[in-house]
Amino acid sequence: MIPHYYEFCNSAKIVSGAKAIEHIGYELASLGASRPLVLTNTQLRELKVATVVLDALKDTEADVVSIYDDVPVDSSVAVVNDVARVYRETGADAIVAVGGGSVLDTAKGATIVLTHGAEDLMDYRGAESLMGRRAVAFIAIPTTAGTGSEVTSAAVIKDTERHVKMGFTSLSLLPDVAILDPRMTVGLPPRLTASTAMDALTHAVESFSCVQANPLSDCYARSAVDLITEHLPRVMAEPRDEQARLALANAAMLAGAAFSNAMVGIVHAMGHATGGVAGVPHGDAMAILLPHGMAFNLEVAGDRYGELLLGLAGAEVYASTPREERPAAAIEAVRAMMRTLHEQAGLPLTLGEAGVLPEQVPDIARAALNDGAMSMNPRQPTLDELTELLKGAL
Amino acid sequence: MARQGWRTKRVRKAVAAVVLAVLGRGLVASARLDERVRAEVAGWPDGTVITLRIAPFGPQVSWRVAGGVLEHLGGGVAEGDLLVTFKSVDDAVPLLLGMQGVLAAFAEHRATVRGDLAVAMSLVRCLHIVEGYLFPDVMTRRILPHPAKRRASHITAYVFLLFRTAAVEGAAS
Repeated sequence: MIPHYYEFCNSAKIVSGAKAIEHIGYELASLGASRPLVLTNTQLRELKVATVVLDALKDTEADVVSIYDDVPVDSSVAVVNDVARVYRETGADAIVAVGGGSVLDTAKGATIVLTHGAEDLMDYRGAESLMGRRAVAFIAIPTTAGTGSEVTSAAVIKDTERHVKMGFTSLSLLPDVAILDPRMTVGLPPRLTASTAMDALTHAVESFSCVQANPLSDCYARSAVDLITEHLPRVMAEPRDEQARLALANAAMLAGAAFSNAMVGIVHAMGHATGGVAGVPHGDAMAILLPHGMAFNLEVAGDRYGELLLGLAGAEVYASTPREERPAAAIEAVRAMMRTLHEQAGLPLTLGEAGVLPEQVPDIARAALNDGAMSMNPRQPTLDELTELLKGAL
Repeated sequence: MARQGWRTKRVRKAVAAVVLAVLGRGLVASARLDERVRAEVAGWPDGTVITLRIAPFGPQVSWRVAGGVLEHLGGGVAEGDLLVTFKSVDDAVPLLLGMQGVLAAFAEHRATVRGDLAVAMSLVRCLHIVEGYLFPDVMTRRILPHPAKRRASHITAYVFLLFRTAAVEGAAS
């Protein structure tokens, strides 16, 4: 499928493999940086995950000027401003972000403040509106295999005073380097592994079927689906399998690059709203809502889902399934994956199991309709259709 | 001699300016005529200024929410709280002439948004409704996500657009 017009950018250098983090000194030097600020959170320090990076940095010419480990679960304006303050005061010349989506988004927010001299991040909300080259060298080291934030041009930061989540998309938010090292994810518990992998799968499926899908993003999305279906069962069976962990980290990165360019749709719109209204963790929401979103889009994106059956169910199932039955079979393959993860890791199958109350559905539907991701969905729902869809997932 | 006429950039900018002016009044008229637009506008923070602009030097159109009512500010206000900027006149004209949908224009990176994306999404829904009044069904079938549902006829909408908003603006000035 060739779109009438499309844009694609994935400028982050990918450094992937066993002990990839040991190259961090070289990568910093390549960027002309020698005084990194390391951004992480206390949990990752306690679990000694961040220690791997800090130890690697000790054996380089770089001087770590500060370790900022006070990043909360949700990125917030206050923390972003504080990180920027520490960066300036310590004379840092790079940010090394070690963590999940929250840490990486905080780093992205700090780069906006540092580049644009922002006093109020609210002034920089929007899509593709940040201009100019970033003034901060930025290395991202993800510790989950899900968000793909290490290669995305998007960030979400919470303004806790005004109670709003601010969305930013700009190519200037793309990290310079993304380091994928299995040591970062090998200790993830099964529940979190399953949830984050379903987040990555949702990125791949939605980016493959949204209105900005293009030949390049398709390659990334297909590869991500292949890696997830092949390696997620291996990781669930043998969590310390570093090769499979690395494959999942790559899948998340590939899916991140796909959705950073082709965007996501109704599943993410509903998921963001479900998280905002009912506090359902993002990965859980994605897993629950993915088959429902696919079913809603079936009439306009069925052919695309049919193509994904090859990756989701394998060559034999794909070849033995008549073409017209492949879209529905792809949705069933996702449901089957969900059931397996439910049995293995207790992943919730319904919004009700995830704690959503029926009376919260109207608020979720309204918030989903206003979510930016909805604009890229191949089929635009009405408020009533969204409400019914969410009720069906309860 | 190279073919000139409407293809020249200057003419396209002039056409865009006219359509933006019509759109400016059309959105206000729709807010008076159609409760769906009123409901969307009611959700925008009071005092919000919204601007559609064609980079780099315009033309542009702005609106302001005052007391829950939408005001047309014309083409003079510099920047809004929500600023939608088309990257060039060539990116704006297909949308303004009803040849491309608003969502498709965003999908193809033809415009940038600075400000609250939730308000931007609400504005897009309003523009869909306005397009339903301004353009015939044969055009809107291609560019709107749902068939246009009008609360009044095209003629009523154009009368509203031409006279009612002008009267209100005249009274206000």
